Amino acid sequence: MGQKTPRIYSVELNGAKDMKQTDKGDGKDKYRGLQDNCLELGKNQRKEHLTKEIDLDDHKLSNKELETKYHTNIVTGLSSTQAAELLARDGPNALSPPKETPEIIKFLKQMVGGFSILLWAGAILCWIAYGIQYSNDKSSSLDNVYLGTVLALVVILTGIFAYYQEAKSTNIMASFSKMIPQQALVIRDSEKKIIPAEQLVVGDIVEIKGGDQIPADIRLLFAQGCKVDNSSLTGESEPQSRSCEFTHDDPLETKNIGFYSTTCLEGTATGMVINTGDRTIIGQIASLASGVGNEKTPIAIEIQHFVHIVAGVAISIGVLFFIIAVSMKYRVLDSIIFLIGIIVANVPEGLLATVTVTLSLTAKRMAKKNCLVKNLEAVETLGSTSIICSDKTGTLTQNRMTVAHLWFDNQIFMADTSEDQLKQTFDQSSGTWASLSKIIALCNRAEFRPGQERVPIMKRVVVGDASETALLKFSEVVLGDVMEIRKRNHKVAEIPFNSTNKFQLSIHKTDDPIDKRFLMVMKGAPEKVLEKCSTIMVNGQEQPLNNSTAEAFYTAYMELGGLGERVLGFCHLYLPADEFPETYSFDVDAMNFPMSDFCFVGLLSMIDPPRSTVPDAITKCRSAGIKVIMVTGDHPITAKAIAKSVGIISANSETVEDIAKRLNIAVEQVNKQDAKAAVVTGTELKDMSEDQLDEVLTSYPEIVFARTSPQQKLIIVEGCQRQDAVVAVTGDGVNDSPALKKADIGIAMGIAGSDAAKNAADMVLLDDNFASIVTGVEEGRLIFDNLKKTIAYTLTKNIAELCPFLIYIIVGVPLPLGTITILFIDLGTDIVPSIALAYEKAESDIMNRKPRHKKKDRLVNEPLVVYSYLHIGIMQSLGAFLVYFTVYAQEGFRPSTLINLRVEWEKDSVNNLEDSYGQEWTRYQRKYLEWTGYTAFFIGIMVQQIADLIIRKTRRNSIFQQGLFRNKVIWVGIASQIIIALILSYGLGSITALNFTMLRPQYWFVAVPHAILIWVYDEMRKLFIRLYPGSWWDKNMYY
Amino acid sequence: MGQSSMVLFGLILLFYLVFYGFLAALFTFTMWVMLQTLNDEVPKYRDQISSPGLTVFPKPVTALEYSFSVSEPESYKGYIEDLKKFLTPYASEAQKNLKVCANGVLSEQKGPVYEACQFPLNLLEACSGENDPDFGYSQGHPCILVKMNRIIGLKPQGQPRIECTGNSKGENTTTLAAYPPEGNIDLKYFPYYGKKLHASYLQPLVAVQLNYTASSTPKEVTVECKIVGSKNLKNYDDRDKFLGRVAFKITMRA
Repeated sequence: MGQKTPRIYSVELNGAKDMKQTDKGDGKDKYRGLQDNCLELGKNQRKEHLTKEIDLDDHKLSNKELETKYHTNIVTGLSSTQAAELLARDGPNALSPPKETPEIIKFLKQMVGGFSILLWAGAILCWIAYGIQYSNDKSSSLDNVYLGTVLALVVILTGIFAYYQEAKSTNIMASFSKMIPQQALVIRDSEKKIIPAEQLVVGDIVEIKGGDQIPADIRLLFAQGCKVDNSSLTGESEPQSRSCEFTHDDPLETKNIGFYSTTCLEGTATGMVINTGDRTIIGQIASLASGVGNEKTPIAIEIQHFVHIVAGVAISIGVLFFIIAVSMKYRVLDSIIFLIGIIVANVPEGLLATVTVTLSLTAKRMAKKNCLVKNLEAVETLGSTSIICSDKTGTLTQNRMTVAHLWFDNQIFMADTSEDQLKQTFDQSSGTWASLSKIIALCNRAEFRPGQERVPIMKRVVVGDASETALLKFSEVVLGDVMEIRKRNHKVAEIPFNSTNKFQLSIHKTDDPIDKRFLMVMKGAPEKVLEKCSTIMVNGQEQPLNNSTAEAFYTAYMELGGLGERVLGFCHLYLPADEFPETYSFDVDAMNFPMSDFCFVGLLSMIDPPRSTVPDAITKCRSAGIKVIMVTGDHPITAKAIAKSVGIISANSETVEDIAKRLNIAVEQVNKQDAKAAVVTGTELKDMSEDQLDEVLTSYPEIVFARTSPQQKLIIVEGCQRQDAVVAVTGDGVNDSPALKKADIGIAMGIAGSDAAKNAADMVLLDDNFASIVTGVEEGRLIFDNLKKTIAYTLTKNIAELCPFLIYIIVGVPLPLGTITILFIDLGTDIVPSIALAYEKAESDIMNRKPRHKKKDRLVNEPLVVYSYLHIGIMQSLGAFLVYFTVYAQEGFRPSTLINLRVEWEKDSVNNLEDSYGQEWTRYQRKYLEWTGYTAFFIGIMVQQIADLIIRKTRRNSIFQQGLFRNKVIWVGIASQIIIALILSYGLGSITALNFTMLRPQYWFVAVPHAILIWVYDEMRKLFIRLYPGSWWDKNMYY
Repeated sequence: MGQSSMVLFGLILLFYLVFYGFLAALFTFTMWVMLQTLNDEVPKYRDQISSPGLTVFPKPVTALEYSFSVSEPESYKGYIEDLKKFLTPYASEAQKNLKVCANGVLSEQKGPVYEACQFPLNLLEACSGENDPDFGYSQGHPCILVKMNRIIGLKPQGQPRIECTGNSKGENTTTLAAYPPEGNIDLKYFPYYGKKLHASYLQPLVAVQLNYTASSTPKEVTVECKIVGSKNLKNYDDRDKFLGRVAFKITMRA
């Protein structure tokens, strides 16, 4: 954790090392191999430098050089034999599936985890004790064998249960396999062939067209209008055009590389395969994700801590009393049996199963709220989260372009960008708007796919690119049926958008029957559009374009651009009817129409807008003390704009750059402490040392990381974890998957998310709604609080189960509570109530407090153990002993007679043991009375556990503030306790092996005063905590 | 710092002192209340010992096995001492203040003084120890005393008696003599009124004496005794091997 050398994740391109290591053996070896692999990776990571993160230079090579490098021919392709050789060498072009822990190991882990070791020890001691007994006396009773078997069964059954729960909640997701394109069109032996993409090898020449998934990493040799969607790789939501020119040193930025598993949206291209399978960029990221070790979840750490405490208490008391027993001249065999009893009494056998059930109940509840939890323990992690590193595209934003602002009549108007906009509310009365809306509707090639009349506009499928789609939907909302408008204004000619012109133009007949002029409409890059204009429309009137109006235009343009929005300019021109009669034939190649003196109408800007629920969710995270950091592959300006609009950078905070700009001074002169926010780009991050990153993370409350690579996302997550933070990462792209894996909890988007992201994540938001995270945080915090209650409830009776043994050893009374009976409490009456506590509502607004500190706010802390063991536990023991003594006294053995009676009592040969009244008892009659004593003690504990259950509903508030009946499940729990006890005593009381007898009804009420006392005492405790916050009482009694 | 933590520690110590003091007082009080519900003379419930068990004397050391050699007095000395000790309260000196009761009827009493009936030792005849201080052990005719466990208020119906049968290995046949004759237990010794009211109460006894006819050694006999002749005294229970019955083994060497 705390090494000083920078830890950098980098991947070697020809990373055959990883491959070799995974091939080693299977089963246990595989498991070990995985660890070795991680270690190996760690070492490499430290050595390599980040700048070499992707070592690829094929984009710089010329076609000739490529041909030599890969021994291929661009025209004829590889020969089949060559391809077969390469395939044999490199393996199939597929990602190796994530390594999985073998099921048997998962199962065995359940068998030895937690308290299991202790119980196994107990079981083995039982068998050893029987062995000793048997060697002394062949006819010795099988009690110890039964007990050992029961203990072993308890371990196995709870293990199977936990395994089943675990297995049910994991493996929900399919693996990477879905991402693999099925077929590829390849040139081999000068022939075009369709082969399964898995058989592609480096050097193959492949052809792709719009709609195809790119079958491997390819270097483009020829491209026509080719656009790809790289959003899953880089986080950019805009389609990227691809060509065969080398445009950037960074292979991720250059235009002549197409990446495996990204989609070709339109156009066609031919490319040479340069990487296949795990060696592709995606493959490297995927292996990066699987190389990242899974950290223990916070709740797992807490449970381990708790197990250590309980096991420590059990073992130390056990050993202590073993020594005491031996020195009191008990036989070693008896002392061993005492030791078993103490262990069984101390270990809450049912608790871990209860915790699993509780977690899975919460997981179910969260699934209903669209948070699918893959790893049960992750349920709580979200509650402990102190930093959320969120991806932008698709997570914070809707991942679709939407019209955000308009500028006309020298005014900026805001458009509604919510997910389900029904109408636009800005002022639409101006004549300028009439013209502008017409241009927007007409100068657009996008169309709705037919047959969607009933679908809400925003959800309709559109054929066309992102911007045009946005404009189409916008005008459909504002104007109504756009298709109809286009029909009425028949299009006679058009020039589609291309990157050289940077404008789009079309010529229409108008729907005005009197006006026979053609209308020419144009949209494009604002400065290009403005060049072609000589007038500007203000309030529906054309005015000459002068310097001041141009100034106004530039101001608006800069302002909208500064918001990170893509700005388009719109202009039109009515062609004079005399020059262009109705029959005029327009020729777009000859351009037989004017291209100047247009009338500028307005600007319109688009952005991938934030989801409407996000700002509110981020405010809630803030008030819950959670820091939200944006980490995106997108441009800093867009990132910052979105960060501002969702509140990641709050309205009144500034970055160093903002301050510099405001004060008009150099960035270096700004006092860094004045800045609350920071925007850090990937390039800056590259040059930062670990300490510098730590400084950034600690000194700015509001941070945006832009232009980051997948590796850098990992570094950021690690940086946050160095601050002892519990880090949640949200993301949807393949590029997020390593960070998702590294995070304490990875949250993937269910709809927009790639399979890689879902695979690496611990949680999937089925509705892609960031607000669901807030729900998750709330549930996580609640479950943490409620687990405290469950554990406190369960630990309490441990003392009441332990004391009988201690009194039995020291005072020598007949055993008050049998080992089997203890198991019936731990695994019988106490199970439903402890689960019921999971349904308890929060005591106060848990979303207004800070996240718990990973190392300070423990699940099981000292006050909890002390209060449960030494306060309520002792009271409970006294109550149970009262029932025990009552039963014995009323049957003839007064308490004074019982003392030191143990030896005579347990002698099989004594069949005339005298009680306090002179009556004589046979051994079996005494045994039966002893079982009645067990039952009485059991009922005593059960009755007081009801009170314990009620007091555990709250930790600070009075039960009456919380409401006694609000949590109905508690009452189900109480009913289950009573019913199980009734069945055990009256139903199964005749089965002697269970050591229960029928108990007189009145004994059920003997412990009731003690139960009431427990309640009153706890109410007093809570009252003092509320009255004197911060006092020593509060510190020692609040758990 | 040190001082304030000392104060805090003192405070906590004081708290626990008060707290546990209170709990101890409370427990003592509830126990006291519980003891008030008890009757000094008779236990509140007697349901768990509705029928008496049988026990034998001399008191067996571990399992119910007697083993001795006729020729070695040391080997049965312990048994004889045990029997003597057990029979001390039955000495005629000790019994002289007890009532001589009418045979065959329950001696139900209303108090306030409860009298005990005499159980003259001579009822045990050869096993009384009066004529033979070795209780037959030296002659190879050992005596074993069988008694019913005391149960307060138990009133046997019919005519209860102890019936013993001996089973020996091989062809040895054993005859068992019982004293009083037929192992009768007289009803006059019932009911028992408890240790406090009935302090001088003497339990009726039945002695069993073994008489071997064959002379092969060692002689091994398993004797089983049970209560018969009374409807409300059980002599068989699946789990309780001493309820109304008892079995023991005697191994006698020459």
